[in-house]
Amino acid sequence: MLRLLDRLEETLVAVFIAAATLIIFAAVVHRYSLGMLADIVSYSRREQIEWLSELSRSAYFGLRSVNLLWAQEACIYLFVWMAKFGAAYGVRTGIHVGVDILLNRLPPGRQRAMVLFGLMAGASFTAIIGTLGADFVYHIRLAGTTSPDLEVEMWLIYLAVPLGSFLMCFRFLQVAWTYLRTGDLPSHDHGHVDGVDEDADAAAIAAGHHLPHDR
Amino acid sequence: MNALIIFGLLSVLMLTGMPVSIALGLTVLSFLFTMTTVPVDTVALKLFTGIEKFEIMAIPFFILAGNFLTHGGVAKRMINFASSLVGHWHGGLALAAVVACALFAAISGSSPATVVAIGSIILPAMVKQGYPRQFGAGVVTTAGGLGILIPPSIVMVMYTVATSGMIAIGPDGNEVSTASVGQMFIAGVVPGALLGAMLAMTTWYKAKVNNYPRLPRASWRERFDTFRKAFWGLLLVVVVMGGIYTGAFTPTEAAAMSAVYAFVVAIFVYKDMGLRDVPKVLLSSANMSAMLLYIITNAVLFSFLMTHENIPQAMGEWMVNTGLTWWMFLLLVNLLLLVAGTFMEPSSITLIMAPILFPVAVRLGIDPVHFGIMIVVNMEIGLCTPPVGLNLYVASGITKLGLSELTRSIMPWLITMLVFLAIISYVPDVTLALPRALGMVN
Repeated sequence: MLRLLDRLEETLVAVFIAAATLIIFAAVVHRYSLGMLADIVSYSRREQIEWLSELSRSAYFGLRSVNLLWAQEACIYLFVWMAKFGAAYGVRTGIHVGVDILLNRLPPGRQRAMVLFGLMAGASFTAIIGTLGADFVYHIRLAGTTSPDLEVEMWLIYLAVPLGSFLMCFRFLQVAWTYLRTGDLPSHDHGHVDGVDEDADAAAIAAGHHLPHDR
Repeated sequence: MNALIIFGLLSVLMLTGMPVSIALGLTVLSFLFTMTTVPVDTVALKLFTGIEKFEIMAIPFFILAGNFLTHGGVAKRMINFASSLVGHWHGGLALAAVVACALFAAISGSSPATVVAIGSIILPAMVKQGYPRQFGAGVVTTAGGLGILIPPSIVMVMYTVATSGMIAIGPDGNEVSTASVGQMFIAGVVPGALLGAMLAMTTWYKAKVNNYPRLPRASWRERFDTFRKAFWGLLLVVVVMGGIYTGAFTPTEAAAMSAVYAFVVAIFVYKDMGLRDVPKVLLSSANMSAMLLYIITNAVLFSFLMTHENIPQAMGEWMVNTGLTWWMFLLLVNLLLLVAGTFMEPSSITLIMAPILFPVAVRLGIDPVHFGIMIVVNMEIGLCTPPVGLNLYVASGITKLGLSELTRSIMPWLITMLVFLAIISYVPDVTLALPRALGMVN
């Protein structure tokens, strides 16, 4: 059950960021190919190349009928969802860092208490925000607002805030519980890089030969 | 008085070690509930609208692009290219490390990742050639910080996000427009190159005095060959900068295009990773972006509270009335940011400090773009100063040097960076000449 939630969370955020990227990419390509096709149409008209003119005209109108004005809005909403669920995922991976200068100097007992205090503060903050958000979403739903371009019900989009916050609250409690039992805290390695093979490469560079690495 | 309570509360909460974003949010909530009559709905609304801006979305896209190319393979290509260019001078490998750091940092956008990627390949090589370990560590730790000064840079986007929409009045009483992402990126080019050159000079001088080894001079053929392999990665910077400068893309679109470009290069051109690695990259990018966006959301709340309590304006008033001149103000800001930089990470500092300091700076006649670059340089130094500098921390991991020894060994470069900071602060033309020449700033 928990494993399922973990997987769902991971899949959602990865899909959101990928979808947003593709949408914006498509919108930009769309905009530029429209401009290019328009150029081809006028060129083939001037030069009186029948078939090209026909072809580019139909392509132009075909492409123009695809309306991508909603792309920007969709991108923002996808990222709002990604941000809220990603923040919850981040608690699990320990990426939300704080100032630990004082924490590291405390004796173990107090350090433990302080860490738990921090986690509990996180849990209560996200719980409050979740509640505020739920209330807000309820009112938006009553008002029945829709978004300008996509015409989606706004409350559906804003639902990310209470859902994400409560999930985050749950993650804080989960981390706190694990810490209480085992003393382990998740921590994120900011300097992680794949594909670094130190010894072989170092030997090659030191000898002045360039690496036998091809494109 | 209220300012004292707010900052006191924030400092206490942050010192407990809780995430900065949570500390910001809790400060705002507790202050609003106990000391004011602001309706809760306003807070809720801010929570939703805080990150609903298309400009902010450049951040996840840039992170995604960087993550596709943050790979040992790309680091090797940059090192090869750099050492074929500068390897035959005094301290060849060390100079190559500076250049490689600058190139890799521009692409990956992450300073600690640059230190690790370049450092873990080039440091063992330097040790094998007979360089002292401390020397190499000093070079890589400081040069790895170039990432946030060379565009595309996340911290620059953070600065524009933090100040955008602020109404700032200049010394002549006219409103001054805030800096745009495009302006910041273009303005970062010359300072980035200058700092790279200054770090390289320090390295060269120390290497010459100590007579450190050089590499054999590379032939032009080798140079061309290594360039060809590094080219595809470097083109990313050209896509972003060219796209924004010519107006072909908005910054966010440029970021999205660069993410798609980085994907194609990593998978199909460089083949450092396969398609099955893509979900992992997506997930780790989403993780990092969500964390930054979460800080932004809470920082927006915090700056709403600041504005509501009139704190930036009051501070500006007070500073102007005490007869503070612009150069004294810049000195104060530098000190403040350097201190903050020793225990917090760049994005949080920028988001918290920029909205407070910006109106005062503008009031004293400082250009928004110049001020932004100065903040970024401060953040860069903060990455290399103990106890919390992230670069220092990861460098200590790969060099196996203790923090205090590492701190001693980066001193020459740290001093170089401080000299550079003084130049940037007091010679605005270094920053503003290029954007002015291109007609982006008047």
